[in-house]
Amino acid sequence: MNLLTLFLSALLINNVILSKFIGMCPFLGVSTKLSSAVGMGLAVIFVVFGASVLSWALYYYALVPLGLEYMKLICFILLIAAFVQFVEMFIKKTSPSLYKSLGIYLPLITTNCAVLYVALDNITQGYTLVETMVNSIAVPAGFMLVLLIFATIRERLATADVPEAWKGNPIAFVVAAIMAIAFSAFAGLV
Amino acid sequence: MQVLFAILIAGALLGLNVWLYIANKKTPVPEGCESLKPDCSGCGITDCAIRRKEEE
Repeated sequence: MNLLTLFLSALLINNVILSKFIGMCPFLGVSTKLSSAVGMGLAVIFVVFGASVLSWALYYYALVPLGLEYMKLICFILLIAAFVQFVEMFIKKTSPSLYKSLGIYLPLITTNCAVLYVALDNITQGYTLVETMVNSIAVPAGFMLVLLIFATIRERLATADVPEAWKGNPIAFVVAAIMAIAFSAFAGLV
Repeated sequence: MQVLFAILIAGALLGLNVWLYIANKKTPVPEGCESLKPDCSGCGITDCAIRRKEEE
């Protein structure tokens, strides 16, 4: 598969939030402030990429040769949790400044279903290692892109004159729906 | 034999998880990050344990 097509498709057309409805919890939860959205987005890119490549290697070098493909779900969950612990520990030891900006979001990512989705999707689509790496960058980048757009809109909504009944989550859902319609226009891109 | 490998792999991953969890807990938090907390005002999740602690 053309890598650019794969990248654009995962980033815009099959956007993990607006097309697959995965990772909705941080999308609605951590999007009321742009600074929080940036931290969360960067942490998701970092964790999804690392966890997906490791999951791919575990599947093709351990589970497939042993005929244990049915164990991929439980293995990936454990691997993602272990990877997040390792990354948090590594950042604590090596880069306090990075820990300051990403550290608090790392434990939250363990429960982000988008991480598991990418790891499983790479396997079910039969991607090679290079395709896995491209997909594992594009999907969280799409997540961050939508999160940032949504956060900027919500920051403006906070000062807008929204009717009382629509304040908070109701208007956020309306915005998300309009964004999903707008992003569906990318379908003709590739 | 396959079942044994399955148990071994799952056990190894579980062990790795526990070991990394303990090692992470033992690793000292960098200076200036001791009281680092997620910004609850920037989050819409109301049933989170951190928020509940914050509100107490």
